[in-house]
Amino acid sequence: MTPIDYLSAALLIAGGIFFLAGTLGLLRFPDVYTRLHALTKADNLGLGLMVAGLAMQAESWAVAGKLLLIWVLVLLAGASVAHLIASGALQRGIRLWRR
Amino acid sequence: MLNLGVGMWRILRGPTAADRMLAAQLFGTTAVAVLLLLAQATGNAAVRDVAVLFALLAAVTAVAFVRRAWSNQDQDHDTH
Amino acid sequence: MTLIKVTTNGSTIVSRGGVFLLIWWVLADGVTSSWWIGVPAVLLAVTTSVMLLPPASMVWSGFLRFVPFFLMRSLLGGVDVAWRAFHPGMPIAPDLIEYSVRLPPGLSQVFMANTVNLLPGTLSAVLDRSILKVHVLDRRKDIQAELEAVEQSVARMFGISLTAP
Repeated sequence: MTPIDYLSAALLIAGGIFFLAGTLGLLRFPDVYTRLHALTKADNLGLGLMVAGLAMQAESWAVAGKLLLIWVLVLLAGASVAHLIASGALQRGIRLWRR
Repeated sequence: MLNLGVGMWRILRGPTAADRMLAAQLFGTTAVAVLLLLAQATGNAAVRDVAVLFALLAAVTAVAFVRRAWSNQDQDHDTH
Repeated sequence: MTLIKVTTNGSTIVSRGGVFLLIWWVLADGVTSSWWIGVPAVLLAVTTSVMLLPPASMVWSGFLRFVPFFLMRSLLGGVDVAWRAFHPGMPIAPDLIEYSVRLPPGLSQVFMANTVNLLPGTLSAVLDRSILKVHVLDRRKDIQAELEAVEQSVARMFGISLTAP
């Protein structure tokens, strides 16, 4: 194991934790809007950290680039979808949860 | 790591109604992550291409879902 | 969608072509024999993008400054939201706030809305006539300052100078 391997593993685990947090948030948060928060976070950070961790072990620049491309794609999709769902939910009058 | 991915997969059956597409979305992202990990673990580069496809499809599916599920409401204000 | 006739300058075509070439190179794993398909595909992509998307001037130095800003904010916000998700008491106080965007309508506004979406803790719900409705996970945080920082960063990237609100 080289230092790079350790760092990569740490990033992967961190990504996994964010995925877990996203899932947990999806289950625990009280309404659609707050659940969307949990979702975008898992997309952004969970996958981002995993991609970073994997890119460190990538055998070529092209592979690292492909990983990055996947992340950017997912980000774009996630952002647009989150916006669509949120505005749709608002239009339909789904109430906000307030403490 | 893989276990973690599969484990999260299981939990994803909880939420209801409109939230289902959120679960589907997270499902898609998780699938991408799992595929990427698989590609690395098995050294099979083709799996990584499958992940690219998943990322693309996830976007299209989700948009289609929003459109269909909520199209009975008034006409969308198309901003484009 | 209507096709808009736009006068395109050469630099737009070159920079977009460059980006698409890079994407192709990545997709093809750097295999050179694939350029038989790649080059026509890139040309098609450039043509399509020029027809559909009016040329937007992006400032590369602004972009380079935006990336670390985005990553840093993501990480900080992400840790914060993850902590709230794990916390037994779930300390959240969601609310919907309105923010008047100073960016001009168009691509830069959409870009800002998407950025706000991706940053953990904020969620842009409706963007209507420069009023951005943002759903926040905790209204006790200083959202206004945060949104202004995002806006500033996006403005720099598109080479826009913001006027005072």
